[in-house]
Amino acid sequence: MYKIMIIEDDPSTREELLLLLENEGYNPEAVADFEDVPEQAVRFAPDLILLDIGLPGRDGFSLCAALRKSVKASIIFVTSRDSGLDEVRALSLGGDDYITKPYSVPVLLARIKAVLRRGGGLEQQETLEAAGIRLNLTRGTVSAGDKTALLTRNELQILACLMGHAGEIVSRADLIEALWDSRIYIDDNTLTVNMTRLRGKLAELGQPDLIATRRGMGYQL
Amino acid sequence: MTLREFLADGLERIMAWLICIVLSAMFLAATGTQTGVILILFIVLLLAFGIMELVCFVRQRIRLRELEAIMDQLDQKYLFAECVPGAKTLYERRLFELMHRAGRAMIGAVSDAQAAQREYREYVEGWVHEIKTPITAAGLICRNADNETRRRFMQELGQIEAYVERTLFYARAESPEKDFVIRQVQLSELAAEAIDRHRALLMQSGVRVETLGLERWVFTDDKWAVFILGQLLQNAARYRKRDPVVTLRADLVEKQVHLTVEDNGIGIPAHELSRVFDRGFTGSNGRSRGGSTGMGLYLCRRLADSLGLGLWLISEEGEGTAVTLVFPAKEKLTES
Repeated sequence: MYKIMIIEDDPSTREELLLLLENEGYNPEAVADFEDVPEQAVRFAPDLILLDIGLPGRDGFSLCAALRKSVKASIIFVTSRDSGLDEVRALSLGGDDYITKPYSVPVLLARIKAVLRRGGGLEQQETLEAAGIRLNLTRGTVSAGDKTALLTRNELQILACLMGHAGEIVSRADLIEALWDSRIYIDDNTLTVNMTRLRGKLAELGQPDLIATRRGMGYQL
Repeated sequence: MTLREFLADGLERIMAWLICIVLSAMFLAATGTQTGVILILFIVLLLAFGIMELVCFVRQRIRLRELEAIMDQLDQKYLFAECVPGAKTLYERRLFELMHRAGRAMIGAVSDAQAAQREYREYVEGWVHEIKTPITAAGLICRNADNETRRRFMQELGQIEAYVERTLFYARAESPEKDFVIRQVQLSELAAEAIDRHRALLMQSGVRVETLGLERWVFTDDKWAVFILGQLLQNAARYRKRDPVVTLRADLVEKQVHLTVEDNGIGIPAHELSRVFDRGFTGSNGRSRGGSTGMGLYLCRRLADSLGLGLWLISEEGEGTAVTLVFPAKEKLTES
């Protein structure tokens, strides 16, 4: 489990980040006392540090330099300061990424994942399996038994989202949101079209009724 | 100053001279001086007087030209009194002294205003940074709510964010300091960031966003460019018709990258097109829909000008609007 250290002075943001990261399967710890942050970091030995810039006492920039010396963790700056100068400074001080507040949760999680992956370790999930079908995310194919079908990018993301919530009802709005997270900016009509095509492809694999429509609620795998 | 103006200005003096000459001639004639002598005297006096006036005119003209040249070279014209060369006459010296006093008062007022503006801008920037902390916290907290509540909450938060952002960039655009950093960025990154910032509004409006050829790289400040793109996306979502589609497309035109944001919305009436970038201009669309401040495109223009980006808009009423951002060629950047 990856250890993430949260250095953030706003208590509610800190608490929520702790909850969020815990739910995402990380092992987070928040710094509440900003006196001896580098020592605390050495004790916790995190894989990743989320570092705010505007902190009481010592600011994030000088803290970053100190942390770089004491621990071998990736550092993501998370700050409400958004001038380009700050970003350049943060990255030149050894920050691995720079996220400005207010961020959206999917973006934050995606950037954390990306930095962890760069730092080594975190392997990208290649296949998903649910309801008797196997989805290959890197090749963009879906297979059932010995039959395989090639999916478009949109279809792949729709199916991945449904398979990630296998058994649950996923609303159309949730699906659209998930697609937007993957930089596919579709509307309601396009979703319908893609859904029809996806069902056609699943039918070719001998799984015509895999995706059920729950009227007024959404889809269910 | 022409000779004629000079003479007209000195009319009183010239008249006094002429009257004196004529009176002396009449006096001499009355006391029995020969006409020939009077005529010679008359001509000599007239000539001497004329030459004197001419010298005076040339001298004044040279002096004026000199002062005008100094004024033309000045960036801050109100510093003129500080830069004039030493006075040549008593009258000039007194005039310059008056100008000095006026200039000093002006310099004081200008630097006070600049300091006030800088302080205000700093305050606004600080405020914007502060307000972002609770917005972030609110976004994280409402993650726990059910999906529908969360979506509506995020829409409202997105709206707040957009207003806050606009305040920040207004402070930046109105302030002469240029604090952006030009870097190489990929258009797809700019677009993704701008779309992400306004995703709640776009999704709620049912907009489909298409991207085309955005793998090009440009040199610009990403924050500012994202803000400009965000304004254009907001407009596209706001002034939409049925089945709204926004296309972000990049083309290479003579080494410049043209990024076009095109929508199929309600468009802008032809007679309003020339004023869309004006500050506070809302137009008939803004008035009929309400909530328009007329600041979006104005800010885009200000920021684009500071960044050295071209910005133009074409639109047909009822058909849609296309706004193009022109990123300068790399060669041109290194030149300047």
